[in-house]
Amino acid sequence: MNKILRTLIPFDIAKGLSVTGKHFAKVFFTANRRKVPFHIVSEYPEVIAKVQPRFRGRLTLLKDEQGEIKCVCCLACEKICPTQVITIDKGKKEGRKMPFPVRYDFEMERCIFCEFCVESCGFDSIILNHQFELAAYNREDFSLGMEGLGQNMYEPSPVGKFSVADD
Amino acid sequence: MFKNEEMEINLGPQHPSTHGVLRVKLRLDGETITHCRPVIGYLHRGVEKICENQTFFQGQVWTDRMDYCSAVANNLGWAEANEKLFGITVPRRAQYIRTLLNEFNRLASHLIWLATHALDIGAMTVFLYAFREREDILDMNEAFCGSRLTTTAFRIGGLREDLPPGFEKLVKKFLAKFPTCIEEYENLLSENRIWKKRTIGVAKLSAEDAIAMGVTGPVLRAAGVPYDIRKAFPYAAYAEMDFEVPTRTEADTYARYLVRMAEMRQSARIIQQCMDGMPEGPVMAKLPKIMRAEVNEVYHATEAPKGEIGYYLVGEKGSGNPYRFHVRAPGFINLQSLPKMAEGGLIADIVAAIGTLDIVLGEIDR
Ligand code: SF4
Ligand code: SF4
Repeated sequence: MNKILRTLIPFDIAKGLSVTGKHFAKVFFTANRRKVPFHIVSEYPEVIAKVQPRFRGRLTLLKDEQGEIKCVCCLACEKICPTQVITIDKGKKEGRKMPFPVRYDFEMERCIFCEFCVESCGFDSIILNHQFELAAYNREDFSLGMEGLGQNMYEPSPVGKFSVADD
Repeated sequence: MFKNEEMEINLGPQHPSTHGVLRVKLRLDGETITHCRPVIGYLHRGVEKICENQTFFQGQVWTDRMDYCSAVANNLGWAEANEKLFGITVPRRAQYIRTLLNEFNRLASHLIWLATHALDIGAMTVFLYAFREREDILDMNEAFCGSRLTTTAFRIGGLREDLPPGFEKLVKKFLAKFPTCIEEYENLLSENRIWKKRTIGVAKLSAEDAIAMGVTGPVLRAAGVPYDIRKAFPYAAYAEMDFEVPTRTEADTYARYLVRMAEMRQSARIIQQCMDGMPEGPVMAKLPKIMRAEVNEVYHATEAPKGEIGYYLVGEKGSGNPYRFHVRAPGFINLQSLPKMAEGGLIADIVAAIGTLDIVLGEIDR
């Protein structure tokens, strides 16, 4: 008898509907009536999500106070990189005792953002910055270097120009 | 007039409910499956061979990319296998943090299983709710190690960094709301008549068959075998945790659903205990400058969300690379039970069988 009743009256469906209904009501009565929208997702190109301080983005070379590149070519990062995307050529610069990287190439298309390079660097001369919009149309745009391909690692990566906000 | 013939069809490799690039060859008699063979290898990258050519330190990034839904659990197994090989003792605080993150990862993996499994069977709503909670867990991953999915969370010998400031608040907030979230999923599914029709008695796998085929994880526990490596061979800080191993005896899809839901509750309990009993101290052990293995082999098994993940490592004397590396992937071995589950059933139920195994093809093909 109980079983027939349960089949006839859809309690189970009502239970599920109460869950979805509650959420619907919550959004319906609060959306667009508050200063801070009561939503779980944000609309991406307009509202860019905040990343955490430890976020691992694109590799960046750092400079010291004099505007000199901090890297001293110990090649630790080149050695530890699991995908071997860093290529460094050692060189000399006038007025600098430490070796100077004449070439510091970074092929972003194969980088897996593991941060092993930053960890291995004993001179704190590289970081992974907070940039995550790294898509580009051309393969060449991923080959970043000191100047090499006309791209500068200190500036935001070239892909910024393709974002919706610039149109 | 009518000929009675069997028909052979392919499910996948690009079918959305095969969770990746799995191809299943099916022979059908009407709607009944008479023969079922999974075909794998579409995502093969040769992870084991790549790791043999890289140092022990570098190998960890490949474990992220095997089972990408439970990267932290894979990292833990890799780190502990290496620590066993080199004889390193990990500080107690690091053990606790590892346990904490591992349980969060179990929640994330079970949530993604719930979401996709329910979606495959036709319950769309759960998908959105489960992903909402998973997002919080991924945010915590990001706060801890900087990455959301491919975490590379641990290091051989401990952790790279301590917990970030404000992490406790995130955990507290999550634990406060998570029980109501599980209730929400259960309200949507447990009693639902369609869900019950699609799962009860579907894709049965008896305990004898499961043990014979080496199936582990929730699939085994839903058949009534209380085998959980966290209890059987405690690792990390699990020996100090108080939790239960949920089991069921029905051995069908619905039982596996109930086991995983109960496991999520236990995970939340373990997280609470980790936060309460978090010891102070360093998070990294003293390591030798250059790590060289003596000839030595280890097999270390941990309980990943999908089952037993085991790392087999052979060190070579004086070398910084593993001589041999092998992974016992839970998904790979669990998948071998698919023919047993699906043969004799209806074609519509194979989607439930694939979903209930909770496979990730990145791990199966490696
Ligand atoms: S983040 Fe990892 S993959 Fe990328 S350059 Fe650094 S070490 Fe190499
Ligand atoms: S590890 Fe640091 S100092 Fe050494 S080469 Fe790399 S960036 Fe330069």
